[in-house]
Amino acid sequence: MRDRGPLVTSLAAFTLLTTLSACSTPEDPTAGAEGGAAGTFDAGAAGLEGEPVRIGISMPLSGDFSEPGIGVRQGYETWAAMVNESGGLLDRPVELVFRDDASDPNKVVSDYESLITQAKVDLVFGPFSTRLVIPAAEVAESYDMLFVEPAGASDEVFEQGFEYLFYAAPAVASDHYDNLADYIEKLPADERPRTAAYASLDDPFAQDTAYGLKDRMEAAGVETVADEVYPPGTTGFTAIAARIADTDADLVVGGTQFEDSVGLVRGFQELGYQPRMAAFSTGPTIPEFEEAVGGATEGIISPVGWSPSADYGQNADFVARHTELHGAPPSEDAANGFTTGEVVAAAVEEVGCAEQGRKCQKALADHIRGAETETIVGPLRFDEQGRPQSAHLIQQWQADGPEIVLPDDDARTGDLVHPKAEW
Amino acid sequence: MPSLSLLAQGLALGVLTGGVYALLASGLTLYFGVMRVVMVAHPAFLFLAAYITYFLHAVTGMDPLLTAVITVPLFFLLGVGIQRVLVARIPQESLAMMSVLLTFSLALLIEGGLGYVATGSYRSITVDYATTSLHLFGVAFPYDRLIGFGLAAATFIAIFAVLRLTRLGKALRATIQHPDAARLVGIDTAKVTGIGFGIGLATAALGGAVLSIIDPFFPAAHWDYIGKLMAIIVVGGLGSVRGAAIAALILGTIEAVVQVSGGATEAGLMFYAFLFATLLLRPQGFFGGRLAERF
Repeated sequence: MRDRGPLVTSLAAFTLLTTLSACSTPEDPTAGAEGGAAGTFDAGAAGLEGEPVRIGISMPLSGDFSEPGIGVRQGYETWAAMVNESGGLLDRPVELVFRDDASDPNKVVSDYESLITQAKVDLVFGPFSTRLVIPAAEVAESYDMLFVEPAGASDEVFEQGFEYLFYAAPAVASDHYDNLADYIEKLPADERPRTAAYASLDDPFAQDTAYGLKDRMEAAGVETVADEVYPPGTTGFTAIAARIADTDADLVVGGTQFEDSVGLVRGFQELGYQPRMAAFSTGPTIPEFEEAVGGATEGIISPVGWSPSADYGQNADFVARHTELHGAPPSEDAANGFTTGEVVAAAVEEVGCAEQGRKCQKALADHIRGAETETIVGPLRFDEQGRPQSAHLIQQWQADGPEIVLPDDDARTGDLVHPKAEW
Repeated sequence: MPSLSLLAQGLALGVLTGGVYALLASGLTLYFGVMRVVMVAHPAFLFLAAYITYFLHAVTGMDPLLTAVITVPLFFLLGVGIQRVLVARIPQESLAMMSVLLTFSLALLIEGGLGYVATGSYRSITVDYATTSLHLFGVAFPYDRLIGFGLAAATFIAIFAVLRLTRLGKALRATIQHPDAARLVGIDTAKVTGIGFGIGLATAALGGAVLSIIDPFFPAAHWDYIGKLMAIIVVGGLGSVRGAAIAALILGTIEAVVQVSGGATEAGLMFYAFLFATLLLRPQGFFGGRLAERF
């Protein structure tokens, strides 16, 4: 009566299908928040005369990247408001022209085409995420438009031979831990970690961060005793933690997002593994981290691209004005948007032009390539391919919350504690 | 080669995690056993339970496991309701396929609803027993997984006791073995089926409470479990409660041992390797007999 053959087969097929889709896109757990329509942003240019400098931007205001997209957009808006309040660009008011690309690479191309050829904007700023940055940069390149972008940190962005592209953040992924690597290399021999264990999500960005540090550590003679890679969608990290705990490495490095950093820390606690130094990408910088690991945060190190407390340039003004304008403190995405504006504005003021055409745009790009710009993430310089040449700040959780412990400059708010407290 | 102590640790974690998998999958075998329903939404209900546990814990300060006193009856009633109002309306001849579609839509509804009400951000419950372990012979047995294992064992014993020792259990088994004959001898199979579905969903309430103390969760987290749990019930023999428990223990153990000796990517593949092997070699599952002989 009950022939279960076809049923079992269809069930199996379904199982595989859902698993595959779950693997490829674990939906961004933080997505959501307000929607936002395309349009122009009048940044309160009262009192400024003259033709506005119009800046075209396509943004993922809906779809997969909408949450960071909205953050970047707000950063752009804060930048425009602050520029207009202090006299504009070349004494002209700034006007932002937004298009919503719905996180779609095809839409982002047509958006920039129409911004440049029909809306005839004077300048363009970049969208969010590597997936959208590359197609958008190709359009900008073909029209000889300067293309400073707030996202797209992975290596492939800089391997396309773009002439006009610059990434307005302190460092590409593999350089995130550079300040920590410098610190470890300078430690006296008896305090330096002798062994290191690495665990990373199978994702280009997460892996680049962990392996950037791994390359530096191996060159400095720190032996790699474990190198674990786990696929997206992994549930349960205790067995992976067991493998690392078994090596009893002095230094543990996680190329993590969020649940994996929490799972590893909890696993290490359960197994009684106490490394002398522990560093995780992303996870510990997310507000929910402290609660998720039950307060066992002390001593954990992370790279951060921007800190609200850092004493760089107009950072304090940015945080205050942004909070006033948008009703909430800025995110790192917003800071990246603001930094993009700062890099372009410095070039425009220095070169003295903001208009389409190879002459002006190339002069802007050449200027950025040669100059050092003071920004809210510190002084920024770029290499020939547009890679920023700084490094991320290093944050460490301490008794009173996260402190910036490296590098040893204006941004620092505390001293790095090594070896870390037990968790 | 991993050291012996690491292998022992992997084995211990694997058996305990397998127990948790068994608890998570136990409801799936009941749905299939009593009514041939492939319940894709079961993991979504697990996380719905985890969220309810979270909010009960946050608002009242109740121990997350104690909240089962509220969530288990709630989910039982919800299960009976879903069966009577939705599943019972699907015609018998298209039940297998349509139930996948229906419960898939339920999963999407739950995920969307959780995202709307609780936002997409991560939630986690930390109780002081969640990050400590019992240390025996140099092997750590994490308390959260020991609790999950214990609850799984208790759940299976309870399900067996109901099926074996009660009149309801007899009626359930009769309905599973032959619904027409069961109706002929006077069993109200519609009612019994609803109760079976309710018991299945009640196990999701327990599973959700255990999940909530083990890992952080977010509305879309259930996708990572569908594949694993479905693989477990196919390997165990669809509809066999005992088979699913054995398969969960074995697959959980293999996963952890491969994780400590090979790698996490290979470990994740194990579930599907066994799924394929089962379909090729023994489509009725390795641990179930013929459907009529189950239980």
